[in-house]
Amino acid sequence: MRISLNWLREFVDVEAKPKQLKADLTAMGLNVESLATASGDWLMEVEVTTNRPDCLSHYGVAREVAAFYRKPLKPLKFAVEESPPRASERISIEIADPALCARYCGRVVENVHVAPSPDWLAHRLDAMGQRPINNIADVTNYALMELGHPLHAFDLDRIREHRIIVRRARPGEPLRTLDGADRRLTANDLVIADAARPVALAGVMGGEDTEISLSTRAVLLESAWFDPASIRRAAKSQGLHTEASHRFERGADIEMAPVALDRAAALIAELAGGKILSGRVDLYPAPPKRDAILLRPAEISRLLGTKLAAEEVERILGALGFTVNRANGAGWRVEPPSFRLDVTREVDLIEEVARQFGYDRLPARVRPAPPRIEGDLDREKVLEVTDVLTGLGYREIIPSSMVDPADNALFTDRPPVPLANPLSQDASALRSSALVSMVRALEFNLDRGLSDLRFFELGKTYQAVASEHPQERRVLTLGLAGHRRPASVHDAGRELDFFDLKADIERLFEPFDLPGLRFDLGSRLAYEPGLSGQYLNGSEGLAVFGRLKSEIKRHYKLRSDAWLAEIDLERLLAVALRPRVFRPYPKFPAVQRDFSLVVPASLSYGQLAEAIEKLGVEEIRCVEPVERKTAAELPAGILPEGHVSLLLRVTFQSMARTLTGEEVEDAAGRICRALELQGARLRS
Amino acid sequence: MTLDEKIRKTLAELGVRDAEGVHALFDQVRAAMEIEGKDRSRWSSQRPDALRVRWLGRRNSILACIDENWLKAAPKELRPAVGSEFNSLKGRANAMLDLNLERFGIDTLPPGVTPMQAFRHDLTLPGNRRPPGSIHPVTRVMREIEDIFLQLGFHIEAGPEIETVYYNFDGLNIPETHPSRDDWDTLYVNEKTLLRTHTSPVQIRAMQKYNAPLYIIAPGKVYRHDNPDSSHATMFHQVEGLAVDRDITFADLKGTLDFFAKKFFGEKVRTSFHPSFFPFTEPSGEVAINCAICDGQGCRVCKESGWLEVMGCGMVHPEVLRHGGIDPGEFTGWAFGLGVERYAMMKYGVNDIQLFYQSDLRFLEQF
Ligand SMILES: [Zn+2]
Repeated sequence: MRISLNWLREFVDVEAKPKQLKADLTAMGLNVESLATASGDWLMEVEVTTNRPDCLSHYGVAREVAAFYRKPLKPLKFAVEESPPRASERISIEIADPALCARYCGRVVENVHVAPSPDWLAHRLDAMGQRPINNIADVTNYALMELGHPLHAFDLDRIREHRIIVRRARPGEPLRTLDGADRRLTANDLVIADAARPVALAGVMGGEDTEISLSTRAVLLESAWFDPASIRRAAKSQGLHTEASHRFERGADIEMAPVALDRAAALIAELAGGKILSGRVDLYPAPPKRDAILLRPAEISRLLGTKLAAEEVERILGALGFTVNRANGAGWRVEPPSFRLDVTREVDLIEEVARQFGYDRLPARVRPAPPRIEGDLDREKVLEVTDVLTGLGYREIIPSSMVDPADNALFTDRPPVPLANPLSQDASALRSSALVSMVRALEFNLDRGLSDLRFFELGKTYQAVASEHPQERRVLTLGLAGHRRPASVHDAGRELDFFDLKADIERLFEPFDLPGLRFDLGSRLAYEPGLSGQYLNGSEGLAVFGRLKSEIKRHYKLRSDAWLAEIDLERLLAVALRPRVFRPYPKFPAVQRDFSLVVPASLSYGQLAEAIEKLGVEEIRCVEPVERKTAAELPAGILPEGHVSLLLRVTFQSMARTLTGEEVEDAAGRICRALELQGARLRS
Repeated sequence: MTLDEKIRKTLAELGVRDAEGVHALFDQVRAAMEIEGKDRSRWSSQRPDALRVRWLGRRNSILACIDENWLKAAPKELRPAVGSEFNSLKGRANAMLDLNLERFGIDTLPPGVTPMQAFRHDLTLPGNRRPPGSIHPVTRVMREIEDIFLQLGFHIEAGPEIETVYYNFDGLNIPETHPSRDDWDTLYVNEKTLLRTHTSPVQIRAMQKYNAPLYIIAPGKVYRHDNPDSSHATMFHQVEGLAVDRDITFADLKGTLDFFAKKFFGEKVRTSFHPSFFPFTEPSGEVAINCAICDGQGCRVCKESGWLEVMGCGMVHPEVLRHGGIDPGEFTGWAFGLGVERYAMMKYGVNDIQLFYQSDLRFLEQF
């Protein structure tokens, strides 16, 4: 709401400098967005919250200012000079739906001369950002800005049979509104109709056919009160938002209707030279009764943490238009004014008092929560995970969770969660795979010539579930591209490979107690077959990882291979952290034995290592692969077709003693037999 | 046995029978070379090549003896091992004794750098850097906020991002029929389901889960049907705070949020509270801190007010307590909500909110 300081001063004597007024308005809850001078005036953009339609006018703001500065607020009195005949002889008004229209006031002004408004009026509307139209329409707008009550002026002679009926529209009834749009109405829309047809969408916008024009001679002025919810529904369904609907849907002041009507009629008579017919038509079938609210001093201090003087409470509420009576016992019975539909409870009154008293004057104390013994275990685990990742050189990204479903489908079969009203196709569904966002992030950087990338995201995936609430799962996603370590003067730089990623994932699991952790080959939609794997905890999948499938790489025209991993955080965070328990290490010497093997390519290191482990030889401290060569890497004829050479190193060490040569030989022999049983052959 | 004695014996005499023994023996030689290389007295200016003569001289030098007694006399099976060790040792000795060393000037060596390492490298080259990892600036700020409230004994609570209309609106006293609902531009999944527009739904969920007393913060992602620009994002992060207990007053809200603001923005920061409207709190307010850019004098950043709004807050509305299953006659509460990106923008001088979501390495590596 734009407020002119000069206009405001017509209702309250403001002594404060504009800058101070701005600060004070903010302090009372009317946040001033901007303050600017304009031809001898000051204009303020006041942010009026949706609960305060009463402040959508100069008079309403003046009331707040008067209360704050303890100044009188000028009462509203508008003298109306009436002439016969009675208005009711010229117009008949009927409210067919009193639930949606609680009051309808009308006046008739005849013999008007429609012309441009005088300069002072045009300037004021200009300053308010309103385009001046003519002296009739401008007056209704002026009254709106001044008093906050929306008015409408009809060309009386275009109202069929001079009859007004406030009713619901018939389904499909047409109305061309002032904006030139032809509208089809529904039974939910409240209309102002004449004997034959709707002439206005009640409380939202007038019709074009009954609009004031240069040939208008007689004016019907409407000042009504419409049900907020129904105005809101109608404005929404018609896609309209007007100054009138803005106020009616927030709740206009039903007692202001006749006052604003008189104000406008008198001003029209003054500016357009017409005569105001006697009497105000005022249909007000059931004036609303509002209960007084009990306000207790104890409740004020229970909420605000301090006692406020009774006089202060009474003064503030009185100045804001509330009727305050001392209640029997402690406290007051408070009747809210008609323009404060937002005040219905004791707490509403307490807010009024606190607001005008000033939040900054209320006391403050720091109050910590009672101490808790339980920690935030999930957070600790997430911190462990991020520490590991940042230590490994990963940078966290936070990409949008909203993606194009077509992109999403490249990475997963699970259905994403489509949005009913997306902003763009690019962001029209919540992803069901976080790989989409990760690949996009890699693409973004690769396209900009940034090549050595290591990213992680702690995010969620979302999945549509038929006729149920969609599911959310926490997921950790890794994305890598480029070199293992950037090339430099010191190192040539080596391309990332599967085992770099595998090592990072193993490192990631280290803080967790995962005795059943095992690797398996695995293939998923988005990964290159033969270059992807998974880690499982028992039978539960924990991580899937590998190289991005080349089709997808081509689809995104990625300039380099991308390595990806998805870690199921719901499962990982359910795992306890690994207990840190010291285990003494052996004091006796270790002995190493190398086993040089020729192995069929189909027999994996994993199988051989497992075979050795199954022997259960206590003295085996570790088994490690030292060298693996394929036939292509060796001179011709050294390896038979379809075989590889593998050098295994086994370290023996006992906790209890120095191993004898025989013991080691014996164990080595058992290992040889176990390996041969698997199909490996010892090289001579 | 000293080194000079050992090099005059054969491997067999020294009891070395396998490759492992060979390696161990050469290790000793290398260690001795290292020590002598560092020994200033052997670098005396009168005998600049004393060390060269001792190690690489044609006759009776250490390497000459090793060649004679260890390599040439080695049993066949140990020859490859000894040979390769010998060659590598020779290389190192040459390197150590390279005449360039004299010119390099050993007096200028940084502590801990041996002359051997020194001359081979141009030490002004940049370090062999491992690119570090980092957490996202939004996470960094979020953690900082969490830490302050954890210190105050609050605990962290989460809620779903895909919410019901009930938890996001109706339960928070924002009925469909009231224009306040329009304050939140909403992305819908269907009529009953939406992407939460704020973290406030966690308030009701937490009250229903734990009842009172309750002290939580709820960080997380929220979504708005807002066209993205430099100050608006369709997805961003909020932190919600909620304290419900007996005897909680507006004073606790003010004091605790002032404490928070000082912890986060600096102890000299001043706060100001002014009234606002949120359907789920009453009285409702905004917290502002004094503008550090203009020192309260008024500038473009603070819209000439001298103050910067940093969060919304208020006393929990009795209806909301009731929706959470808490008796408003017995308990009162306060709540706040803040936008994490805004804090990150203020803290790090980021001028475009979209930078947070682009995953640009040039942005990420600055934090
Ligand atoms: Zn400033």
